[in-house]
Amino acid sequence: MFKELDPILHSQLRLAVMSLLISVKQAEFTFIKEKTNSTAGNLSVQVQKLKEAGYIDVTKEFKDNYPNTTCKITHTGIKAFEEYVKSLRQYLDVKK
Amino acid sequence: MENDNDFSPQQSLQLIESMINRAKDKFAEDGLMYLVWGWLVFICSLLQFLLLHVFKYPYHYIVWFATIPTFIFQYFYYSKKSKHQIVKTYTDYIIGFVWITFAVVMILLGFLIGFLTTGEYYSHIIHILLAVYGMPVFLTGVIVRFKPLIIGGIACWVLCIISTFIKNYDYQFLFIPVAMLIAWIIPGYKLRSRYKHINV
Repeated sequence: MFKELDPILHSQLRLAVMSLLISVKQAEFTFIKEKTNSTAGNLSVQVQKLKEAGYIDVTKEFKDNYPNTTCKITHTGIKAFEEYVKSLRQYLDVKK
Repeated sequence: MENDNDFSPQQSLQLIESMINRAKDKFAEDGLMYLVWGWLVFICSLLQFLLLHVFKYPYHYIVWFATIPTFIFQYFYYSKKSKHQIVKTYTDYIIGFVWITFAVVMILLGFLIGFLTTGEYYSHIIHILLAVYGMPVFLTGVIVRFKPLIIGGIACWVLCIISTFIKNYDYQFLFIPVAMLIAWIIPGYKLRSRYKHINV
């Protein structure tokens, strides 16, 4: 029986954000935006969804008088990501 | 990037792989502090050798006071840099702790040598400095996969062994500028050119 792919992660932009965050300690919103080639509006919606799922921590502070958002993956996020990759492998193994 | 849920498991894996690679392609170390410290210690140790060996000046160690403004410069340099750093990788994080460990070990050893050894305790300093100093240089090289630093770290250990055969304390001082050249100044210039090449 196939495991359902986590609907929160099975979306291109959210998966891209999680893949970036899994490989670094923390990243600013501008870095994620640049690397994922996304628009600020779309990205902030997706970041909010990941935050609500408890997959990432979002810190908002001021840097040189400008608002600055930093994102960091949580333990729940790492677990979910690992599960997602495991499920992907299952799909791919069957297809071989 | 589009935001649809209609993509295959293969595409998912490709996306994950490409994002992980994109996160890695920024190399944050510009080598500046390697060059500042490398040249500073290089010049200070040579000056100290001249004061000690040629001029027989008893307070030859005063040259090391030049490290105080350098520490202050380093503090401001890194706090400014961290403000502009939009991503913090695990590599940066681990390397920071490698150097903190080195600083702690050096300070502890400084105290221990003074307390525990008798006689000409200062004559051990150069060997111990070279032995311990090889560690952060070697580890940084391994972590960032940068050969000049790995070679530099090993060179410090080789110099440490050779230095034990030099019985004249004054000449032992000359091992420090050599170590600086191999373990800091040369890798520093190479890091700088790599940084400029990657972050054009």
